[in-house]
Amino acid sequence: MTVGSGVKLAAALAVEDLHVAYTVRGIDRAVLRGVSFAVKPGEAYGLVGESGCGKSTTAYAALRYLPRNGKIVSGRVLVDGHDVTNMSTDQLQEFRATEASMVYQDPAQAMNPTLRVGRQLIESYTLMGVSKVQAHERALEALRKVRIADPARVMDRYPFQLSGGMQQRVVIAMALACDPKLLVLDEPTTGLDATVEAEVLDLVRVLRQESNAAVLLIAHNLGIIRSLCDRVGVMYAGKIVEEGPSAQVFDDPQHPYTVGLLRSLPRRGVRKTEQKLATIPGILPLIGTELATCVFIDRCPIASETCRTIAPPWVPVGDDGVRFTRCHHPDRITEILEDVPEVPISILVASATDASVLELTSVSKTFKHRGSAVPALVDVDLHLSEGETLGIVGESGSGKSTLAKTVLGIESADAGGSVSLDGHQMPGRTTERTRADKRSLQMVFQNPDSALNRSWSVRRILLRSVEKLTNVHGKQANDRVEALAAHLRLTPRHLDLKPRQLSGGLKQRVAIARAFAGDPRIVVCDEPTSALDVSVQAAILNLLADLQAEQKTSYVFISHDMGVVRYLADRIAVMYLGRIQEIGLTDDVFNGPHHPYTEALLSAIPSVDGEVKVRIRLDGEIPSPANPPSGCVFHPRCPRAIAGVCEVTEPPLVEVSDQHSMRCHIPLETLRELQQIS
Amino acid sequence: MSAGLPVEIVPRGEVQSSAVPPSERQQARRENWRLIRRRPSFIIGVFIVLVWVACYLFSSWLVPHHPLDFRSIPHLSPRLKFPFGTDDQGRDVLSRVIAGARDVLNVAPLGAVLGVLLGVVVGMIMGYVGGWVDQVVSRVVEAILALPVLLIALLAITTLGRSTWVVIGVIAALFTPVVARTVRAAVVAERDLDYVTSAKLRGESSLFVMFKEILPNVSGPIIVELTVRVGYAVFTVATLSFIGAGPQPPSPDWGVQVSDAFRNIQAGIWWTTLFPAAAIASLVIAVNLIADSVQSVLEAS
Repeated sequence: MTVGSGVKLAAALAVEDLHVAYTVRGIDRAVLRGVSFAVKPGEAYGLVGESGCGKSTTAYAALRYLPRNGKIVSGRVLVDGHDVTNMSTDQLQEFRATEASMVYQDPAQAMNPTLRVGRQLIESYTLMGVSKVQAHERALEALRKVRIADPARVMDRYPFQLSGGMQQRVVIAMALACDPKLLVLDEPTTGLDATVEAEVLDLVRVLRQESNAAVLLIAHNLGIIRSLCDRVGVMYAGKIVEEGPSAQVFDDPQHPYTVGLLRSLPRRGVRKTEQKLATIPGILPLIGTELATCVFIDRCPIASETCRTIAPPWVPVGDDGVRFTRCHHPDRITEILEDVPEVPISILVASATDASVLELTSVSKTFKHRGSAVPALVDVDLHLSEGETLGIVGESGSGKSTLAKTVLGIESADAGGSVSLDGHQMPGRTTERTRADKRSLQMVFQNPDSALNRSWSVRRILLRSVEKLTNVHGKQANDRVEALAAHLRLTPRHLDLKPRQLSGGLKQRVAIARAFAGDPRIVVCDEPTSALDVSVQAAILNLLADLQAEQKTSYVFISHDMGVVRYLADRIAVMYLGRIQEIGLTDDVFNGPHHPYTEALLSAIPSVDGEVKVRIRLDGEIPSPANPPSGCVFHPRCPRAIAGVCEVTEPPLVEVSDQHSMRCHIPLETLRELQQIS
Repeated sequence: MSAGLPVEIVPRGEVQSSAVPPSERQQARRENWRLIRRRPSFIIGVFIVLVWVACYLFSSWLVPHHPLDFRSIPHLSPRLKFPFGTDDQGRDVLSRVIAGARDVLNVAPLGAVLGVLLGVVVGMIMGYVGGWVDQVVSRVVEAILALPVLLIALLAITTLGRSTWVVIGVIAALFTPVVARTVRAAVVAERDLDYVTSAKLRGESSLFVMFKEILPNVSGPIIVELTVRVGYAVFTVATLSFIGAGPQPPSPDWGVQVSDAFRNIQAGIWWTTLFPAAAIASLVIAVNLIADSVQSVLEAS
C-alpha cells in the first residue's frame, strides 16, 4: 500500500494538511503549519522532534483534545474515516469512548488518586454499556493482558500504592478497554526508570501484535521510536520534514534536520577523546513566526539561494514510494555527514593524572524515616583523580543523588566514613567547611529553572558566586564575571537578563558558569542535560569537556543516559540500592564482562542504531531501600542469581581485573561465558 | 483520563527562547499593566480610596461644619443644608463622616503593614528553618487563630489602655499568624529549589538566603496579602471602636458613630447609622477591589 489517495480509506488515522494555532495574548500564533500523515490499522507511527516542534500538539489535535487557547485553523483529522474536526460535543465524547485512547507521560495524573484502580478500570467498561458484573470480569482480563501478575489484588489498590511502571500498565489497560482503533502514546515512558521503561516498551510491542489498533507514538528518544515504530515522521517547526520506515530514516537520513538530530547524539560508543559532538546552531523559530520558505533554513548548513526563495516540496526519496523529505537538496546531505567536528588538541592531551583529588572512605548515609532507619548509601569507597570524570549510573533509589549530596556536604555522612579533598578530611556539612573547600566543590543541577534564582539577573547570580567563593570584590569581581561569561560563550547582553528570558541551554550555561566561578577542583553534575533537547545537550557536553581539558577539573557525572555517560566519563560506577555494584574504566564497564545489573541496564536501552542485543530482562520493581533484600541486594531481580548463595551472603566489592571492581558471587570467567563476550 | 491534559499552553518557545528581544517582554508586562488599569474594579477601588485619603489629609478644609463643636437641631433628616442629616446632638453627619476617615486611616494601614512585616519574618523562619521550629510555631499560630479575635483584642486593650499605638499593635499581632501561614506555604515551595542549595554551597548565611534569595520570589503572595490585610484592618478598627475599645465619644470615628446611633434606627432615624456604616463598607470594598486586581495581575505574570 502506498501513501496516497488509496490510504485515506484504509487509514486508521489520517491527518490532512492540519494547521493549528494557539491564541497567546490575543494573537493567533501558528503551531502546526500543514501536517499530513496517515497511520494504517496495526501500524505504529512515531513522531520525533525537539520540544516546541509541535509533536504533542499533533497528538492532542488528533483527538481534538487541544488546550483552551488552541484551535484547528484548517485541515482535517480522520480517524477510521470519521472527521474529528467537525464532530459535535456528543459525537466527540462517543468517539473518545469507543474509537481512540490516549496514554500520557505521567500515569499518576491520569488516574483519580481517591478511587481504587479496579473501580476506575471498571468504569471504562460500564461507560461503554457493559454490565457491572461483566465489566469486573473484563477489567481483570485487561490487567492480565498488560502482564499484571495478581490482577485481583491490584484492582483493590489505590493508584499511589502502585509503582510508576505498574501505574503506566494500568493506564494502558484503561486505554485499551474500548479496543480503540487509534492509540496515542505521548512520551509513555519518560518518567520511568530504564529497566521499567524496557518492560513497558516490551508490553506495548506485544499488545500491538494482539490488537489491530493504529499506534501514534510521541517521543523525544529516537531509540524508543526506532525500536517500536514501523514508520517515523520527523517534525520541525510545525511541519513534518522527513518521513519513512524508521530504520531507513535513522540509518540514512535525508533531511538536514534529521541528520543534525542524529549527529548530536553520542552514539556507537563514541568518546570525548575521539570526537566532538555535532550541534545544530541556532534555535527553533518561535511559534507564530512567519516562515515563508523552508522552516529549517536558519539553521541549515547546506541552505542555498533556492531555499531562500522557494518553499521545498514534499519529494519522494528512492523508488519504493515510502520515503519523503521536505528539502531541495537531499543529494547534498553527505556534505553535512562528512563535516566532522575536530576534537581540540587540549582534550586529546589532557588526561587524568594520578593525583587523587577526592577520596571517599566507607561512606554511608542513613536517613531516619518514621522511626526506622533507611540506608541510602552503604559503605561507599571512591576516589577521583585530577581531571577525571567519574560517571555514576543507576535507577531511582540507587543512591546516586545521596552520594552527590554527601560529597558536597548538603548531607553529612554517617559517623565512621570520611570525605577527603586533596588529602585532608573535610567536615560533613558545607556550613562547617572552609571557603577553600567550598570553592573547590561546586555543583551543576539537573533543572536550570530551579537552579537559578528567577528574580536575579545573570550578572548578579555570577557576581555573587565570584565574590563569595574567591573573595574578590568591586571591579575585579566584575571583570571576572565578564571573563567567565565570555568563556562560556555568553554575550554581555545575556548578563543583564533574567533567567526566564534565556533558553534552556543558555540557562544551563549560566549554571555551569556559576559552578566555575571559583575555579573548582571538582564539579558534581547531576543529570545536567536531561532537561535539554539533544542538540543543546551536545553543546553542553562539548562545553563540559572543553572546560575540563583547560582547567583539569574533575567531574562526578550523574546520569541515567548511558550514551552520555559513555561519551564523557573516564570511569563509571554503577549503583543499586545505595551500593556500588560495579566500578571500572568506561570501556571495561561497557564492553564487559559486566555485573548482571549493569548488563540489565545496558540491554534496557532502546538503541537508535537498531543493534540487536542479547537482552536480559529484570522482573519486578526496585525494592525499597528501607527494607533491602537479604544477601546480595540485587538477587531477587537477578536473572543469573545462584540459588543458595546470593540470597544468603552479600558479595564484597572485589577487584576482578585492573581498576575494575564488582560486587558479584559469579566468577568473572563465568560472567564472560554467560554474556557471550569474547 | 483527561487529567494529563494541559489547560492552557503557553508554548515553550515563547517563554524560554533567547531569540525574543527583551523589548517584547517589557511590552508584554506593560500590556499586562494596561489591562489591569483598564479593569473597572481597579479604577473604582482606587477612586474610592483616594476620596477617603483626601478626606484624611484635608478634612479641616472639606468639612462644611465643625465635626464636634457645630450644633443644629438634633435628628434632622438629610436635606440640602445637611446632606447626611444631623445626629442626636445636632452635629452634621457629613462633616463627622469626613473627619472620621482620620481615625481609621491613622490605624488600619499601619497595623496591616506591621502585621504583614511581622508575618513575613515569622513565616519565613517557619518555612525556611522547618523542623521542630516550624512544628512549634505552627501550633502556636493555630492556637492563636482558634481564639476569637475580638476577645483577644478587648483583653489587650483593657489591660494596655486604648491608645492609638495599642490598637495598631493589637491589629498587627492579630494579623501576624495569618500572614505567617501564607508566607510559610510560599517559602516551603521555594526552600527545596536548587538555587537555595546552590546558595548554601557557596556558604551564604540563612538570613541572606531567606531575605535576599527567597523573599523576592515570594513577593507576589505578600503584596496580595498586604492589600487584603488593609481591608481587614479597616474592618477590625471599626469593630473595635463599635464595641468601645477604640476612640471614645465624641470622636467622629465611624465605628463610634454607628455604635452611638444604631439604637435609633427603630425610631426611623436611619441616617446617623447608614452613612458612617456605608463609609466603612466603601473603604473595605474599595481596598478589596484593588486587592483583587493586584492578585489577578500577579497570578497572570
